[in-house]
Amino acid sequence: MEASIEVRGLRKRYGPALAVDDLTFTVRPGQVTGFVGPNGAGKSTTMRMILGLDRPDAGTALVGGRPYRTLRTPLCAVGAMLDASAVHPGRKARDHLLWLAHSNGLPVRRVDEVLAAVGLESAARRRAGGFSLGMRQRLGIAAALLGDPPVLMFDEPVNGLDPEGIAWIRGLLRSLAGEGRAVLVSSHLMGELEGSADHLVVIGRGRLIADTGVRELLAAASGDRVELRTGRRGEAMTVLSRAGATVSAGARDTLTVAGLSAERIIAALTGAGVEFSGITEHRATLEEAYMELTRDAVEHRAEAS
Amino acid sequence: MTGDDGFARLLRAEWTKLRTVPRWGLTLLAAVALTLLIAVLSASGDMHKGGGGPEAPPGAPRKFELRDLPAGGTVTARVAALTADRAWAKAGLIVRRGDQRHGPHVAIMVTQGHGVRMQSGGENRAAGSGGAPRWLRLTRAGTTVTGYVSADGRTWQRAGRFTVGGLTGTVQAGLFVASPDDVKVVRQFGGESISGQPTGDGNRAFFDNAAMTPAPAAPWPAGRIELAGGGDIGPDRFAGDETRRALSGTLIGQAAIIALAVLFVSAEYRRGMIRTTFLASPRRGRVLAAKAVVLGAVAAAAGLAAGFGSFLLGGGNLPPLSDGAALRALLGTGLLFGVIALFALGIGALVRHGAAAITIALVLLLAPYIVATGLPVSAAVWLGRLTPAAGFAVQQTIERYDTAIGPWAGLGVLCCYAAAALGAAAWRLRATDA
Repeated sequence: MEASIEVRGLRKRYGPALAVDDLTFTVRPGQVTGFVGPNGAGKSTTMRMILGLDRPDAGTALVGGRPYRTLRTPLCAVGAMLDASAVHPGRKARDHLLWLAHSNGLPVRRVDEVLAAVGLESAARRRAGGFSLGMRQRLGIAAALLGDPPVLMFDEPVNGLDPEGIAWIRGLLRSLAGEGRAVLVSSHLMGELEGSADHLVVIGRGRLIADTGVRELLAAASGDRVELRTGRRGEAMTVLSRAGATVSAGARDTLTVAGLSAERIIAALTGAGVEFSGITEHRATLEEAYMELTRDAVEHRAEAS
Repeated sequence: MTGDDGFARLLRAEWTKLRTVPRWGLTLLAAVALTLLIAVLSASGDMHKGGGGPEAPPGAPRKFELRDLPAGGTVTARVAALTADRAWAKAGLIVRRGDQRHGPHVAIMVTQGHGVRMQSGGENRAAGSGGAPRWLRLTRAGTTVTGYVSADGRTWQRAGRFTVGGLTGTVQAGLFVASPDDVKVVRQFGGESISGQPTGDGNRAFFDNAAMTPAPAAPWPAGRIELAGGGDIGPDRFAGDETRRALSGTLIGQAAIIALAVLFVSAEYRRGMIRTTFLASPRRGRVLAAKAVVLGAVAAAAGLAAGFGSFLLGGGNLPPLSDGAALRALLGTGLLFGVIALFALGIGALVRHGAAAITIALVLLLAPYIVATGLPVSAAVWLGRLTPAAGFAVQQTIERYDTAIGPWAGLGVLCCYAAAALGAAAWRLRATDA
């Protein structure tokens, strides 16, 4: 089975609102694809359509080349965690996984394996109703891993987790992708995906905003700005302007320099004998890059209308 | 689609779901316990009075004069006179097995105002005109009994013939006098009260020329034989249905079955677990089918336990388990709980809201039963035929004045409702987003 998700021209309307509008993207194996957009952007709707829960008004969603509803043992093709609280509170964690395993003809030994994989062995015989949010997330992830599927989908998996839990999920996502699986992770906070996603699909109001690699996005957003700290701001501005840079004054004794690399700035200042106390290359965070991206999208829309 | 196309896996998954929520197991136990509790209470409050009127004091004239009759034989007598104050007072010959009114029997009789008649079970046929004095004869060949009538004891006319399956082995045959009871039925919401007054204490019949071939061990009294008393022969359309009374706890026990059936599906909607279910098995109709099979089987098992348990604890004048009608009522109670569970499951899957679905199912199954007792019989029988409550007819063992529908036909009506509810639920499952 091919490890991929292919979404082509997907559209879904709820009453007058267009929740997903002509969405096309591909989730490839061996990497973590972040699925990002503000709340209400259509992420969950898209995931439900991929998983055959909601029927699209137009377009197709294929998992491993097939529509989800035609899969006979779907847990072996796709593992998904949509809502961690979707567990009967009166049922023990192990029993929840047990009926899932039975439904796809999976051996009972898989239940104990995934419980160990998510660190829930000691809580296996406790009722899910008494679980903390973090434990429920782990149980949901255990359910997704049950069939050892090549494709995995997690909807907001770090929502409400403590830092330790977030770190654990990041490690898990990296290792799943490292095993060659296609992993799709949704989040409304780009920062949550920092350090775990390789690729990003960004949507807003149901439409695709960006489908790009994380590295390319960061490079584009960072530009080549350098932050300079010096007691002699006037002289430094004159020297650097002459060297072809765009310089703007920041707070106290800082300058932001664009258009020159750090090495050339140091050479120019040293040559002119201007002293400086610090120089740092500016690196955009994923969050900043995302803000820039969505701001553009909003402006585009404003211009268009 | 074949049976091994993953359906067995679905059954196993749904069974695992059902057995791993402890509260659901308790609900199932409650269904049985409630039914048994009502059975015990109703047995201790048993107000049953034996049919057929009070026993005659010793020495006074009796209503029957009976002898044993083997598989082939004849009983003959002349009804010399019948004095009574009502048209349906009767005197004549009877062949019967057991002393229950609804037991197997054939009788030929002279009535006060309706001529000569033959009767078996609920069937009463005209067999000639006129009244006493009259010669009567019943000839038995196995389960077939033929009646003859004669004016002079020499020329006989065939009056009719009945074949009654229950008339096996040695039966009792002889003379009887009878008169229908005065029955007052008061129907009110929640129940009925029937007061039967045996009448015709002034009923008096004189027989002579009584004879039986082969001759009985105890000879007939010589000369005129006088019989007197009230009470009727044949099935009593106002008699209490003892088996059904013992099973009346199922009306309450079904509430727990309905709750379990509805929660089995509505709990999944409440928590969004239905999505997990459909992720594991995207073919939704088959999920519903698997739920129905598992739940129906479990509810039927509870129904059997509740039925047989009630029968054992029910006390009173219950027939033996070998009685065909009683056995049908008990096995039928198992089926009844099974079908009620399917009906409630269908409503639960259609409405998707636990409290609303339980209310709807309970109202449809219980309310007709309660409302019917407050309506005239002519209207009440239609409630008993058209509503899902018709299913309870499978528990009736005798035909009464207010019987609405046959046992299997009644269960069939409920099956139709269950099929409709499940069909609509399957359609909604497929058509809408989960």
